[in-house]
Amino acid sequence: MDKVAAVDAEALEREALDGIASAKTPIELDEARVQYLGRKSPLKLALREIRDRETGMRLNALRERLEAALERRRGELELPQEDEAFDSTLPGTPIPRGTYHLLTQLRRRIEDVFIGMGYEVYDGREVETVWHNFDALNQPEAHPSRDPQDTFYLDEQTLLRTHTSPSQIRAMMEQEPPVYLVSLGRVYRRDALDPTRTPVFHQVEGLAIDRHITLADLRGTMAQFATAIFGGHREVRMRTSFFPFTEPSVEFDVTCFLCGGAGCRVCKYSGWIEMGGAGEVDPNVLETVGYDPEQWQGFAFGLGIDRIAFLRHGLPDLRLYWDNDIRFLSQF
Amino acid sequence: MKVPVSWLSEYVRFDLPIEELARRLVFSSCEVDRIIRRGVADDDGNLGLFLVGKVVEAGQHPNADRLQLCQVDVGEGEPRQIVCGAWNFGEGASVAVALPGAVLPDGTKLDERPLRGEVSRGMILSERELELGVDHSGIIVLDDAPEPGTPLADVLPLTETVLDIETGFNRPDLTAIYGIAREVAAVADGELAPMSGRDPERAADEPVDVRVEDFEGCPRYVGRTFSGATISPSPVWMRARLTAAGMRPISNVVDVTNYVMLALGSPLHAFDRTLLAEGRIVVRRARPGEKIRTLDGTERELDPTDLVIADAERPVAVAGIMGGENSEVRPETTEILLEAANFDPLTVLRSSRRLRLRTDASTRWEKGVDPYLAKNAAVLATQLIVELAGARWTGHTDVHAELPQPPVVQLRPELPERLVGMPFPVEEQVARLQRLGFEVDGDRVRVPTWRMRDVTRPVDLVEEVARFRLEEVPATLPTREAVAAQLTRSQRLRRLAEEVLVGAGFYEAYTWSLVPLGEGRIPLDEPYSTELAALRTDLELGLVESAERNRNAGVERVALFELARVYTPVGQQLPAEPWHVGAITEGGYLGAKGALETLYRTFHVEPQFRAGGGREATTPEGRVRELDGGWGFFELDLDSLFERVPDLPLYEDVITFPALKQDLAFVVDEGVLAGDLVAAARAAAGPELRDMRPFDVYRGEQVGPRKKSIAFAVAFQSPERTLSDEDAAGLRKRIVQALSERFGAVLRA
Repeated sequence: MDKVAAVDAEALEREALDGIASAKTPIELDEARVQYLGRKSPLKLALREIRDRETGMRLNALRERLEAALERRRGELELPQEDEAFDSTLPGTPIPRGTYHLLTQLRRRIEDVFIGMGYEVYDGREVETVWHNFDALNQPEAHPSRDPQDTFYLDEQTLLRTHTSPSQIRAMMEQEPPVYLVSLGRVYRRDALDPTRTPVFHQVEGLAIDRHITLADLRGTMAQFATAIFGGHREVRMRTSFFPFTEPSVEFDVTCFLCGGAGCRVCKYSGWIEMGGAGEVDPNVLETVGYDPEQWQGFAFGLGIDRIAFLRHGLPDLRLYWDNDIRFLSQF
Repeated sequence: MKVPVSWLSEYVRFDLPIEELARRLVFSSCEVDRIIRRGVADDDGNLGLFLVGKVVEAGQHPNADRLQLCQVDVGEGEPRQIVCGAWNFGEGASVAVALPGAVLPDGTKLDERPLRGEVSRGMILSERELELGVDHSGIIVLDDAPEPGTPLADVLPLTETVLDIETGFNRPDLTAIYGIAREVAAVADGELAPMSGRDPERAADEPVDVRVEDFEGCPRYVGRTFSGATISPSPVWMRARLTAAGMRPISNVVDVTNYVMLALGSPLHAFDRTLLAEGRIVVRRARPGEKIRTLDGTERELDPTDLVIADAERPVAVAGIMGGENSEVRPETTEILLEAANFDPLTVLRSSRRLRLRTDASTRWEKGVDPYLAKNAAVLATQLIVELAGARWTGHTDVHAELPQPPVVQLRPELPERLVGMPFPVEEQVARLQRLGFEVDGDRVRVPTWRMRDVTRPVDLVEEVARFRLEEVPATLPTREAVAAQLTRSQRLRRLAEEVLVGAGFYEAYTWSLVPLGEGRIPLDEPYSTELAALRTDLELGLVESAERNRNAGVERVALFELARVYTPVGQQLPAEPWHVGAITEGGYLGAKGALETLYRTFHVEPQFRAGGGREATTPEGRVRELDGGWGFFELDLDSLFERVPDLPLYEDVITFPALKQDLAFVVDEGVLAGDLVAAARAAAGPELRDMRPFDVYRGEQVGPRKKSIAFAVAFQSPERTLSDEDAAGLRKRIVQALSERFGAVLRA
């Protein structure tokens, strides 16, 4: 085999060099190139079949000699050199690539920030029991959000979750404290479908239960989160609020991520953007899941992410998230 | 609710700029959406251009039938000539005058100019021009004849600042100006005045026939009767306050009920007593088929869950929501029955929802109004009805069940610091609680009646203390013994699936979880629309619609995927929610299959395709097929796929000993599938057949009719030694033989 290749190589080289030298026009030269160096030329076929190193090196050296001869002849024929003829401003070979949905991008960043702070990512459920969604969260029976005008029910006891908070209940019932988690996903409210509201949207839930978790820890954690997501230095402020499942309850605002706090149209010249609700987990909730509120305490927070991306990227209409227009998706 | 600051200031004295007050309230008490400035601007001496005037002469304008020409004394010695379009006054009337140069609330600047030939050196003003009311049918005629030239601002509330406040579900006390005043006293260290209202002398002691049949729906009903009322417009001060608070003034008695509701937070209603059958009030649930035409003119069918105020025969009001036309206070009314009651929040909420009727009253009741307030509301309203309508108070009754006692809660001084993370001295806690009306006796705290729904436990007291210092809370991070977290296996693999598809050119789509009704889909109790009526069991519909939309929009390369949950019934209350991935692309069946193969390869899972009919194949966890419109589509159940993903791929040596590569082509019948040939070849040749990929299918004369030739790129390799040509020949022979026996395949030379 080796012997045959050697003989073939010598004959081949002679024949090829002759062929190249006798080419008189660019077309003839190109024909010679195809014949001796093209994809189906004996040399290229032989190169593909090589199984030992020595033959490979010899055939590759031959290929280089033939290529050099080809270039030389090109010069003799006063054809433009390859390098001169090349337009480096032409676009490269297209490699198609898609994009992550804008909300997936934000969702992953949030998950990663919290993983970095030692929080698990908990996959909640979307179809929930009324008990997990409302009762266990201390929601009074008279609370307006329970109304079928606001909530999608499947039957009297089953609904599409109206917030990510039932994930808190599930997680705490599944595991012993301490618990540090975030849970992200779709939530459902019977809202109009218009530029500023959609009946399906996305929330992030956070929960930290340990021996001494305080509102101060909530403020620090939110500041860390906001700085990581929005960059720069972000302040967080807390205002009093009411949620059945936290006590005390707060709403938290973040330094406006568009104007940096100077005041702009988006933050209504307040310098702050409302992010979501939070508070210390209500002792009733802890008791419901079997945690002793004298031993364990912590914070929970929840916020919608659709609006954040909407404001940051200057979207005109929330429905863009659901239209899946590639002209939209490909921008992010 | 809208809180006029002048009104607020009647209940609390504070010494803070209004912006700072609003800022503090935002942290401690309630949202302040806006600070609204109403009325005459108080700058550049503008207010000084508004004066009390006395009309010394009034007569027909010589050149205009509809105008009056007046001489008005504004304390300058000489009267001013003013042209006026209103006729509800004459000589001697005291009026509100704006001088030339004055800027009106709507921004108009007055100048001195002739009107139909007569110079008007000012303007006589109506309520609407001063934003004191909505009435502009006539000008304001001032009572008590103040001295001409008196600054108008001394007589009328010309400038007003209004706080636009949003209150939470848990704070019915903040739906009252007095309740806001209580918060202001706490945040601004102000002085809170006692709740206003004093019972006037009662002119008679006639019985008031009130029967409460449903104490659950109506724990308390204070009924008071009045005689000899004169229904007329309220005085300007009240009209101005109601207008500033966003309410339309109607007539003195009705205005009093609204005024007291705004002031104290307990809604009231006034009936014309002569229109009540037997003069009686019965509080009960509606009877089947009962109807009422409410004050908004709408005929409403009642339901036995609705609580109504009835007379001896029929409903006269939907309790806590709206009165009925049949018992309305009218201009000729003189006999009044005033209702100051308390209604169950849930009852009001349900009826209000069912009737789709939300009112200022119902939004208060549904938060749970303090039942003790009914009495205060009755007292203040009584005082005002007697004062403003010249009525005599003739009867009183207070029907109630046992009213709830405010809870006594243990003060745990360590708790605020434990939960908030900063020190709260016990003296501070006590002082804050007392300021809010809590009675503190050692560690026993009696909750005020207006907070008894909301504050029942030690932890609730923490909020009452902490909410005034939220700005000072430090920012710390939890101190933890161990910090470690990572994505779960499923989360990690889901991310990987997304990465593969994005890398393969697919754009990620989000489509609705709700789809039209269909077999196997769990329906919503009440659909959102025909398109959004049930839970999806697969991702196909949304992706097809999205892909079509893109194609119709002229997008050049359409390829979309979605990774999301679907919802499959499993015979329990909650469905299973498996994660699926679906993808749609141009390039038909093979386009989708290529992407699917890449996905499987990434996960190190053999797809095990099984041919379906035509352009379709299944794998253990999903299928790929061609859809109408030339779309290639696949969908997989990821939970099942992930079960087959090896945790740890082990190294296979494919480097030390080279592979022997050759092309083999077989002629077979049309019906034979390449996949079956490969499977049979693998079975025949064993692991040394490392790879066998179909790369060309040829049909034509050389192979004959109803036949095809499939060419395979084949690689033989062993991890243990270099395979010789003889080895390769042997393997090839086994393959040829197997394919020949099973499929009648013939190796092409």
